[in-house]
Amino acid sequence: MNIPDSARKPYQNELSRWWWLKQRYYRLYMLREATVLPLLFFIGCLLYGLYCLTQGAAHWQSFQLFMQQGWVIALNLLAFAASLFHAKTFFALFPRVMPLAPAALMISGQWLATLLVATGVLLLFGGWL
Amino acid sequence: MIDYQLLIQRYDPEHDNEPRLQRFTVPGDHTTSVLDALLYVQQKLEVTLGLRWSCRMAICGSCGVMVNGIPKLGCKTFLRDYHSDITIEPLAHFAVEKDLIVDMTQFLAHLSAIKPYLINDYSGTTVHKQTPAQLAKYQQFSNCINCGLCYSACPQFGLNPEFLGPAAITLAQRYNLDSRDNGKAARMPQLNGKNGAWGCTFVGFCSDVCPKQLDPAAAVNQAKVESAKDFIISMFKP
Amino acid sequence: MQILQTDIIVVGGGGAGLRAAIAAAEAAPQLSITLLSKVYPMRSHTVAAEGGAAAVTLSSDSAAAHFHDTVSGGDWLADQPVVEFFVKQAYRELVQLEHWGCPWSRQQDGNVAVRRFGGMKTERTWFAADKTGFHILHTLFQTSLKYPAIKRLDEYFMLDLLRAGEQVVGVLALALNSGELVQIQAKSVILATGGAGRVFHYHTNGGIVTGDGMALAYRHGVALRDMEFVQYHPTGLPGSGILITEACRGEGAVLLNKHGKRYLQDYGLGPETALGQPQNKQMELGPRDKLSQAFWHEQQAGRCGDYNGHAVVYLDLRHLSRAHLQQRLPFICELAKAYVNIDPALAAIPIRPAVHYTMGGIATDINCQTTLPGLYAVGECASVGLHGANRLGSNSLSELLVFGRVAGEQAAHYASQCPAADSKALSVQSEMSQRWLNRRFGTNTTDSVAQLRQDMTLTMEQGCGIYRTGEGLAHCQQQLQALQQRYQQLKVTDRSKVFNSELMQYLELGFGLDVALAICSAAMARTESRGAHQRLDSGMTVRNDAGFLCHSQLYYKANSLPHLSWQAVQISSLPPAQRSYGADNAAAENSADSTKGTQP
Repeated sequence: MNIPDSARKPYQNELSRWWWLKQRYYRLYMLREATVLPLLFFIGCLLYGLYCLTQGAAHWQSFQLFMQQGWVIALNLLAFAASLFHAKTFFALFPRVMPLAPAALMISGQWLATLLVATGVLLLFGGWL
Repeated sequence: MIDYQLLIQRYDPEHDNEPRLQRFTVPGDHTTSVLDALLYVQQKLEVTLGLRWSCRMAICGSCGVMVNGIPKLGCKTFLRDYHSDITIEPLAHFAVEKDLIVDMTQFLAHLSAIKPYLINDYSGTTVHKQTPAQLAKYQQFSNCINCGLCYSACPQFGLNPEFLGPAAITLAQRYNLDSRDNGKAARMPQLNGKNGAWGCTFVGFCSDVCPKQLDPAAAVNQAKVESAKDFIISMFKP
Repeated sequence: MQILQTDIIVVGGGGAGLRAAIAAAEAAPQLSITLLSKVYPMRSHTVAAEGGAAAVTLSSDSAAAHFHDTVSGGDWLADQPVVEFFVKQAYRELVQLEHWGCPWSRQQDGNVAVRRFGGMKTERTWFAADKTGFHILHTLFQTSLKYPAIKRLDEYFMLDLLRAGEQVVGVLALALNSGELVQIQAKSVILATGGAGRVFHYHTNGGIVTGDGMALAYRHGVALRDMEFVQYHPTGLPGSGILITEACRGEGAVLLNKHGKRYLQDYGLGPETALGQPQNKQMELGPRDKLSQAFWHEQQAGRCGDYNGHAVVYLDLRHLSRAHLQQRLPFICELAKAYVNIDPALAAIPIRPAVHYTMGGIATDINCQTTLPGLYAVGECASVGLHGANRLGSNSLSELLVFGRVAGEQAAHYASQCPAADSKALSVQSEMSQRWLNRRFGTNTTDSVAQLRQDMTLTMEQGCGIYRTGEGLAHCQQQLQALQQRYQQLKVTDRSKVFNSELMQYLELGFGLDVALAICSAAMARTESRGAHQRLDSGMTVRNDAGFLCHSQLYYKANSLPHLSWQAVQISSLPPAQRSYGADNAAAENSADSTKGTQP
């Protein structure tokens, strides 16, 4: 209870917009959130490719040339690494939110499922299936 | 005994406009805790130092402070683990009343808001049966000592003090998961709101600092799942 | 000065205070209840109780058996009608707590599990892993939030009791966060302020256990009863005194001296039990007074080890599996790791006795009522007559519940009938207190609160320890009087209002000194040995029922030694007999009717 003329004067430190730079843990969290940025670029490439496919051979070739540029490859590699990193953090968090089985088992299960699905998709689009 | 350098944040509401750091030299050995060091300062060097403490054994939850920027229980953090200056500040994200003492009013209000008691219409005179497996479902979440470290770790609480926060949501889960409880419906309105479970962005630091390894982040995100289920079920209800 | 009005004030937010507040709210929902505490309720020291709470549970057990254990455990100084009432009510209260959500540990079939405890004939201790007090406290605190009639004043320090003639009509309190005095008028006041272990140097107690309520009731003319009986818990960590629960021994832990030998068989607790097969009331499951005394003898004989300059013996849990330790004693594993860097599955824990509990306290009747109308006391601060000369482990958590309820109901009943007091007289008393408080501030040349407190705790440790002598007690009493003189001169140097720790510690020290002098004076007067009070002087080393089968009662005298009187013990069904453990106990139980006798 606060008495009107009391000697109290609580000091409230406002959180600055740079709060996430203060802590290693927060920086790691922001890195996880930032994995969305290179992934956005990858999705942009994907949509651009689809668009080119509908516009005929010439467009498709220019898309292929675009994709072969060093900086595009680098950004897409970054997107790949980011998605792996995000998957790793996500897979670690999931068993804590849905404790269905021992965490280690659930984590390896998720990786196994990812590997199987990714291989299947590769084989399917590669024409081996 | 070797000398440790402590930088303690001081704030005297009757004279200061903002906090400042004050340096103290404290002798310690391998058993000296941060709390021991603070009490040494209070008893021998600076009688006006304000801090909360009681049990000295990490169960009463009084002595939470920031040690080099990380929320810690003073009684369970040891000088031996630090090699240069040790900076001790009051728990982050709470208003500072004096020195290391923060205002816990909001924290207490959040705890009571989620109706932290068994709700059921049991009127028998014998005990409920509860198997060890049923107990295990909520036991971990019942170990919260209300120290508030998780609130100091949570940037969302720092940005929005109305956010119920990790300990309160964990306590709600503790009762929701108890086989003797039927009160989930009464608690969900609190958890469903933007100041409830959805205020959490799963930073996860709360679980890292929890001195009792409760994993409050897990509890909060389990509450999100419950909240989503609650929402979907409510759509199909007339 | 702010004035608040309420029907009932409960001072202290631990187990007893919370239980009393809830009982009052249920008994008389129209009454307003104020729960005042110098810390947030969940910081109260109930939180540190580990082992469990006792109640007759198994079909093979009986109220008579629990009664017998408690009375003989208390060396026949318990009031038997009180014990009878207690053993009958305890089960109902533990069930009530189950209904409120306490996470009691369970058996596979879903029933509540019970464990062995020292001095108890059979398994009857309910537990929530090894954090029973913590879970009881949090369950009660959280349940109290259900009752709108209960208003809390957290972090308010009780400065004095308000009186209208012989009637207690409220409390004068200091709001710690603003430094302002608040006059709280009420029709009844329940003191549930806990023990006074902090007047000693080595103890298991938290910083808040300073005897405030005991001292205030005492200063207002209520007797402090049986203060000479201070329990040393046999297993505290060296230095810090951090509690290592008796439940360890209930689960099968054994005590070893520095030669790795068990020693309790040499002190009337044998024969030695096999490792991993603990027997009730034998060896490590003897009562606390006997175990602490055995430590003292081992120390005299040079058979204690050394840990950082502290004499220790060792608590060995290594024969229990890691899984069992993690399930039943997780907190002990955590404490041993953090504070002595020991993994109990791999090494024995160094331990030594430490002051744990004050058996005595504010004298009350079976209804928790003191001699001052309107004033009730319950829990460790009170002496309702349950524990006698030595408390059995796990009886006190049950006591909080059984008598917390009684106190709440009785105070509610009283408050419903009692007319409001004259508030003019209260203003005069409050203004006087305010002026008294203002005069406490000043400067000290050499002394300090911390120094004076340390001198008190060391004096008590030396004079009023496990074994006492007339000479040592007389010296201790002189020293305490000198400390009180110094206290009169002492000033509070910090003049700030917001969370003035020095002021609070100064006031606590004043309370502590009064309680310490009461303990010492009672110990001097009791020239026999009984339970936790052991004299080494010749002719005093055994129990003397002819002279001392009675409670000591001390009455406060300002600036002088207390006035002492004796009160008869209420014996209803179990006449004094020899207190026996181990093989002697088995023999005694075989000879069906116990007859009168005294300890050799």
